[in-house]
Amino acid sequence: MNTMHSGNLIEPARRPALQAVEVSKAFVSGHQRTQVLDRLSLAIEAAELTLISGPSGCGKSTLLAILSGLQQVDGGQVRALGSELGQLDLRALERFRLQHTGFVFQGFNLFPALSAFEQVELPLNHMGLTRDEARRRARQSLEEVGLGQRMRLRPSELSGGEKQRVAIARALAKQPELLFADEPTSALDAANGQIIIDLLHRIAHSHGTTVLCVSHDPRLVVHADRVLAMEDGRILSDRRNQAPLSDSRGTPS
Amino acid sequence: MVALARKTLVYEWRRFLPAMLAVGFAGLLQLLQIALVLGIFGSTSLYVTGSSADVWVGYPGTQSVGLGRSIDADLQSRLLMDPQVLRVEPYLWVDGDWRGPRETGGASVFVSGIDPAADGLMFSKVLSPTLRARLVEPDAIIVDRSALDQLGIGIGQSATINGQRVRVVGIGTGLRALGGVNVLCSLDTARRLDNDVTDNGPTYLVASLRDPARAATVAARLRGATSFGPYTTWSASDFAQRSVRYWLFDTGAGAGVMFLAGIVFLVGAAITSQTLVAAVNGSIREYATLNALGVGVGALRKVVLEQAFWVGALGLLGASVLGIVLLLLARSQDVPVVLNAPSALACIILVMGLAAVSGLAAMRSLRRADPATLLR
Repeated sequence: MNTMHSGNLIEPARRPALQAVEVSKAFVSGHQRTQVLDRLSLAIEAAELTLISGPSGCGKSTLLAILSGLQQVDGGQVRALGSELGQLDLRALERFRLQHTGFVFQGFNLFPALSAFEQVELPLNHMGLTRDEARRRARQSLEEVGLGQRMRLRPSELSGGEKQRVAIARALAKQPELLFADEPTSALDAANGQIIIDLLHRIAHSHGTTVLCVSHDPRLVVHADRVLAMEDGRILSDRRNQAPLSDSRGTPS
Repeated sequence: MVALARKTLVYEWRRFLPAMLAVGFAGLLQLLQIALVLGIFGSTSLYVTGSSADVWVGYPGTQSVGLGRSIDADLQSRLLMDPQVLRVEPYLWVDGDWRGPRETGGASVFVSGIDPAADGLMFSKVLSPTLRARLVEPDAIIVDRSALDQLGIGIGQSATINGQRVRVVGIGTGLRALGGVNVLCSLDTARRLDNDVTDNGPTYLVASLRDPARAATVAARLRGATSFGPYTTWSASDFAQRSVRYWLFDTGAGAGVMFLAGIVFLVGAAITSQTLVAAVNGSIREYATLNALGVGVGALRKVVLEQAFWVGALGLLGASVLGIVLLLLARSQDVPVVLNAPSALACIILVMGLAAVSGLAAMRSLRRADPATLLR
């Protein structure tokens, strides 16, 4: 929809899905002012799993909040899918998130009263889909995360790993171009953490979704297409794990 | 559409129970208070509601049945000239001082002098034909069963009112008065008991109409004649309301009702809003997640408001069931309780208003559903 705006700036085919330009952010508590991000620039490519890793307090969650439009910057610009997020008001940001983004959080944040199926269907109701289409998508994404047989269960009847898969299905059913995950494995054991990161990786490749994952979990590093190491609000290293994008696309992990 | 509000209410009913109880008891308290007040003060319009007259004629500005002044008896012929008027009879109200055979001290009585004819209009709904016929005897009176102890008298015994001798010939029911005792007698007896020299006519003239439904219209067109001294007219229902309203507000009972309504509203709203706030806070991370996924704050507010609505509706349901049981119990124990549609509606509005205000208050705590906080 907004793809034409920056078409003359960079080569259209490889335009980044997410871009931060000279972004600064500080938090003030009392007289203490903490500069979390200082003139940070970054571009995230589409259809791959990018991992931002680093110790706690390095600013990676703040960076995620800023890139996903949940937080405003103090200075600099954030471009997501060609839209300048700083230009959007609260309503427009909500609309942008509704159309284009999915979120997975460390806590699963599922409503205790709703079944897995209803958790996934609920946000779809607000996207203007027909009831049938919303239900079809909900069923499809629950099957995709391997919960086809357990979609009538409530959170209290699901394990931690299953709850996180419901949360992923909830984000995935919206068919977002951007999927943000904040410490998605830190509340889970090794086996379940493995399942979650595999799922995120597969979503990036099979749906062409831009997946941006923030984690300090070292086990995830090998599964990401690209790993950004962060410390003290700056990016220390930027390396790619795998072969070029075209090779991994469509290949199940 | 996933019914988040309702499913949460059902699944977490324990969380919402205090709010439903608060709303329910607020409604019940208000309902019973209104029913009691209406029951007690309803007796001040007994003279109107217990009679089959459609139009009342009395002194202008009369605020309650017991506060009338005499009017010109010749008005009767004026009323009978109206084609709608079927029958007109005088009604004489006399305030009396009672001295009974036993030592009871003074007692204030309200003497109602009525036409004892079989087709008489006054008290036709509360007086049986045989009792009414006994009033033809000179000095005969009828009192309510509940007043016998108060007056220190039994059937067949004599006493004096305003120094004149009277004799109890019958005992009625449903004739209780407020602030005194009703004494029924014939017009002739009442005139003899009336020691006020300024009284030179009946206190009221009451009329029945061919078409009772046209009472208000006929009452309006009977007003305004100047050749009979001061008088005015009311439809029976207007005059009954006038009496009840006078007592409600003159005694401060009306203010009491309003005051309690205010207290009930505040306490109920405080408990209900706190419960709803706690429910919102309990799901604040889930709400924040929905907002992160782009579900607007407006839609989340609607969920909270809907919960408030259901809390109100369920509380109201409980209050209605319990209220009906209690009202029936009160009736069976001769406690005067009356509930009419307007006061029931007022209770419903109070309770749903309480729920709505609580929902609006709880909505404010949704501000804390900021998705950015999920990333810290």
